[in-house]
Amino acid sequence: MSKPKVAFFDFACCEGCQLQVANIGEPLLDVLDIVQIVEFREVMSEKWNGDFDVAFVEGSITDEHAVERIKKIRERSKILVALGSCATIGGVNGMKNSFDLEEVGKYVYGESYKFFPTLHTKAVHQVVPVDYFINGCPIYQPEFLTVLKCILQGIPYYVPEYPVCVECKLNENVCMYDRGVTCMGPVTKAGCNSWCINNGNICYGCRGLTINPNTEGLKEVLKNYKIPEDFLIKKIEMYNKCKEFDKS
Amino acid sequence: MKTEHYRILEKSKITDFLDKLNTISKVAAPVYKGFNNYAFQTIKSAEEVSLKYIPTVIPPKKYFLPTNESLLEFSLGNELKVEPTVEYENLILFGVHTCDIAGIRCLNMVLSDKPKDTAYLIRKKHITIIGLECNDYCDEFASCAFVGAHLPTTGYDLMFTELEDYFIVHIHSSKGSDIIEKTGLFKPAQTISMEELKALREKKSAIFNNEIPTERRYLPDLFDRSFNASIWKELEQKCLSCGNCTAVCPTCYCFDIKENVDLSLKVGERYRVWFSCQLDPFAKVAGGIDFRRERSARQRHRFYRKFRYHIDRYGMVFCTGCGRCSRTCMAGIKLKEVLTSLIRESEAKIWRKWL
Repeated sequence: MSKPKVAFFDFACCEGCQLQVANIGEPLLDVLDIVQIVEFREVMSEKWNGDFDVAFVEGSITDEHAVERIKKIRERSKILVALGSCATIGGVNGMKNSFDLEEVGKYVYGESYKFFPTLHTKAVHQVVPVDYFINGCPIYQPEFLTVLKCILQGIPYYVPEYPVCVECKLNENVCMYDRGVTCMGPVTKAGCNSWCINNGNICYGCRGLTINPNTEGLKEVLKNYKIPEDFLIKKIEMYNKCKEFDKS
Repeated sequence: MKTEHYRILEKSKITDFLDKLNTISKVAAPVYKGFNNYAFQTIKSAEEVSLKYIPTVIPPKKYFLPTNESLLEFSLGNELKVEPTVEYENLILFGVHTCDIAGIRCLNMVLSDKPKDTAYLIRKKHITIIGLECNDYCDEFASCAFVGAHLPTTGYDLMFTELEDYFIVHIHSSKGSDIIEKTGLFKPAQTISMEELKALREKKSAIFNNEIPTERRYLPDLFDRSFNASIWKELEQKCLSCGNCTAVCPTCYCFDIKENVDLSLKVGERYRVWFSCQLDPFAKVAGGIDFRRERSARQRHRFYRKFRYHIDRYGMVFCTGCGRCSRTCMAGIKLKEVLTSLIRESEAKIWRKWL
């Protein structure tokens, strides 16, 4: 049996998630034992014209060219994986959706903005069907390996639906709210083993909101901690602005 | 209280004692983490240990029931090979408060019930518990007097009680007496020390008063009347379902079982991780049905697991009064307040019946 053909593609993103894959260290050798990487612009020059067994897509969809390109990649891939926040939830690119598109175009390209038509930012699954999601900005390397193994075993991967606090508590970190700092852990999907907080940073909420957040309850908590509501809304919008397209 | 079961340790010798313990085996003790947070951690020297501490973020349960524990290893070659695994090591837990000892006793009860949790029972044998009695409340969240966990009863190998000038140490097992011998720092207790210990316990009975306006024996009745109490609906609005209350509880033992294969996809392990009834996926079953969808139902379940169901099954209250759930809850759900609210509502109902 030949090894599954795997490719990596990027759209609007910083390519940092692909860098996380390239920088995964020793496990990369074992990964290369079980898959054949046929296209991965960040680490190799070769291209592939055929079909893929698995395509990892980093980045969000922000213009017509991207829409066409992701549709073609979807057609050529048996399994499509959204890699990183930009691909899974729109990520920081989603902040564009808070502004008028023309205004945004002018801000970036000046008067020649008309030559660079743009669209509202979308996550990959808002344009084409996605089979697996690897959240995070950047992705958490151990989770990438877990998802890869699930794909190769043909079983689903469930992104934890509970908040980062669950993992953070088991790591016995001092709660950021005890330190007097606002942390997004209570409303952010887990799966990263509270990576940032373990290293003394707050959670920025890069993995997206939990599925069933108690928004009213959270407002009460914010009041108790004297955190203005709009401060938190801004923090949520940093990564979650594309969520509104999920409803339609 | 038999004097021959007690020993004396000079306060100045406690660091020597801890350093000697460290030569016997691995030692875990409370360590300060900043911002009034403490954690049980393996220590390298006595200096790291905090003798005065409020309950740690996670109870010492984590040594008995690891947060992530391998259960079996398998390999999928031409034939399936499965090998059960038990993770254990010799460990001395120093400075365990009586509330946390009560928690371990609850776990012992459940995990030695059928089907026996063999890995747990093996691990337990390798752990020595050295208790440290609290002479005063840690903070306002504790309700240890209500459940009777403020005094040492049983469940430890040695129990340290701090008196004015020295520690008086109760030897409660042969493991404990071995440590006394090996460290060689203890003096026999005299009648005067026994009297001082008695005086301390009397002083404690004035400090520790039942924190809840009812008695333990009325709990079954109270909870039988409270399934539809209004407080559960209030908790629906408050609770964020972060699962902190269950993660820090010394008597919660629910787990999820997962499997992990290595990158050869042929060798792997089955392991268990702590899980919580407060989390969304906990009661979700095939077909996407969730039989405890409302946060109110999940919180109610938590309270019934502490104060009702286990009384029938084991004759024990599964709350140790450590106060961790109240201390950690961002939404400010406080165990003492919830119980008080249940009592008030149920009293009102009873009065209405009479009038």
